Amino acid sequence: MKKLVFLLLVVSAFAKAQTELPDLTLKNLEGKEVKLSEISKDKTVVVSLWATWCVPCIRELDTISEIYGDLQDEMGFELIAISLDDARSTRRVKPAVNGKGWEYQVLLDPNNDLKRYLGVSTIPFTLIVKNNEIKFRHSSFSPGAEDALFEEFKQIAQAD
Amino acid sequence: MKNHYPTLIALLCVWISFAQEEEKVSFSGGFESNAQWYLPDDGIEFTLPQDRLRSNNYFLMRFEYGKFSAGVQYEAFVPSPLLGYARQYEGNGIGTYFLKFKHEDLEITGGHFYDQFGSGLVYRSWEDRQLGIDNSIRGVRVHYDFTDFLSATAFTGNQREAFEISEGTVTGVNAELDLGMALDMDNGLQLGGSYVNRYQEYTGADPNFPADVGAYSARADFTFDTFFLGAEYVYKEPDAYVSNGVVENNNYQDGKALLINTGYATKGLGINATLRAIENMAFYSDREAAGNTFLLNTINFIPGYTKQQDYAVSNIYVYAPQPAVIIDEDKAGEIGGQIDVYYTIPKGTFLGGKYGTKIELNYANWHGLDATFDRDNSTYEASLFSRGQKYYEEYSIGIKKRFSRKLSAIFTGIHTEYNGRVIEGNDFFLRGNMQIIDVLYKLDGGRSIRADIQHLATEADRGNWAAATLEYAFSPYLSVYATDLYNYDETDIHYYSVGGSYTKGRTRVALNYGRQRGGLICVGGVCRFVPENTGVTLNISTNF
Repeated sequence: MKKLVFLLLVVSAFAKAQTELPDLTLKNLEGKEVKLSEISKDKTVVVSLWATWCVPCIRELDTISEIYGDLQDEMGFELIAISLDDARSTRRVKPAVNGKGWEYQVLLDPNNDLKRYLGVSTIPFTLIVKNNEIKFRHSSFSPGAEDALFEEFKQIAQAD
Repeated sequence: MKNHYPTLIALLCVWISFAQEEEKVSFSGGFESNAQWYLPDDGIEFTLPQDRLRSNNYFLMRFEYGKFSAGVQYEAFVPSPLLGYARQYEGNGIGTYFLKFKHEDLEITGGHFYDQFGSGLVYRSWEDRQLGIDNSIRGVRVHYDFTDFLSATAFTGNQREAFEISEGTVTGVNAELDLGMALDMDNGLQLGGSYVNRYQEYTGADPNFPADVGAYSARADFTFDTFFLGAEYVYKEPDAYVSNGVVENNNYQDGKALLINTGYATKGLGINATLRAIENMAFYSDREAAGNTFLLNTINFIPGYTKQQDYAVSNIYVYAPQPAVIIDEDKAGEIGGQIDVYYTIPKGTFLGGKYGTKIELNYANWHGLDATFDRDNSTYEASLFSRGQKYYEEYSIGIKKRFSRKLSAIFTGIHTEYNGRVIEGNDFFLRGNMQIIDVLYKLDGGRSIRADIQHLATEADRGNWAAATLEYAFSPYLSVYATDLYNYDETDIHYYSVGGSYTKGRTRVALNYGRQRGGLICVGGVCRFVPENTGVTLNISTNF
């Protein structure tokens, strides 16, 4: 067993760590397909992995939603919320997003392909992506974390 | 299976070093470890296991190179799996692996894969580490997009069964047609059809025994502006009736299900209703595994359509779906549904206040099918659209209110009716009322305090419960909590727990000490029983 872990580590040392979003296509709430590799083309976006049953996820997205308009004006802030709701609750996503009045673009990952690709085990999980390159990752949410996220976003968006 | 490693690793190494020279190889993955040190505790019903230290570890690596991608998940349950997980997981080895080729509209996967057809009523393979489920199929899967609006998938393989694979072979085909796109309609119309087959050898004497069992699904989803409607009908061919792992011969009955989903969504208001009737729809890749507590070998996905509750008291009496026929327990299936309403009272109104008020309502109702049972011959008769005894009913309301930039609260009220006889084989029918207040106060510098108090009033089972939680975040990265769930009415047991978590970038570490209440643990509407226990747990997860 130890040998195997060692071998895997050696193998991984050879390869370059993934810093890009995968070549995956997800559906939006209108059923239209959206390519993940194109959502951050020539811009910086925040990608948030969430689900309708995840309380801290909803808290994070509600918090940001309250000042989303201001953020868009101030720093070109854009958030794409990717729902990991499975067959049980994926139908709930559209009414929930509308009912809450969120302005985010929402994508669906009911088979959790993106979650597996990123190796994510707990949500909320937040990424900042610029030109398809993953620049920042953070898991969990506690109030105040949004300020740190905005700060990171500003720096990444302004950097060359 | 274990003798596959050297070949696999060698192949990966060769492939990667070869690939390295031409184009870049990128890799991603994650590591998750959940370990628990069990402690003696006379205060609850808990017998200390022989292995007091147990852990579940998952190490996932994926490589991408041009049109190819590959992955392997190494798992170690050492020295044995956490309590409540299937014993078969004991030890370590490669849990899943795959090699995928993707070129333009064609995708071919060899090895383990996860997928679902329609809502999952005929087939869904998925992984949930918390529930101890990984029912990926090991075999070959081909997906092809003929056009923008027509695609098809076909697969065949055996289902993962801890570190083994299922005796039965599962084969499926699926087609999806987006008619709205094909005809350039303003409204959305998607159609889908699937066939899934389980073949398991039979060596007995009965010439009519169904070794091959197929299930068909037909569905349509319609979207018109703010309104949507979808339906799926499923038929499953006659399958052997299995009771406690024993096949009862000469008795093969079919299964069926109808799922309807409809709703309305506009800014500030969303409504969704799901209705489902289901009869004899247990579908396993090994027929003798029918009804196993660890949910191994499940080919299809039948979640409980009720609200997923977020608090300790509201997670004691949770509905577990009843799709299977169990003649000794007078069960043939279930019928029911739920309605969700999401509404935001606009800012600036009397009830909306300065920030708007968010309201969530849910109503769920489930009954058994009205059926007659012939215990001598192990047969039953039922109608898919009938209602027998009540299994579950729940009303819940959640109000989210922000009072100022710093202070916000969630108020929750729930009325539950829970048939303990049917859901957990106990002898009570419970009616309970719950109130929960959850308050969050934001301090400067990323610090915050969260507190909740919860109460469940009921006369059945263990009577009344109360709970409270206090959580303090020193920063967005570090937080600690203390919580207690107290059955003050009957048993006088405190299920207390304290802990903390640290998260930085891609890594999260959490440490907890306390008691775990036994019973149904439900994730995503799928439930299984876990034993009561006490101990220290350490969770580490990271991704790269």
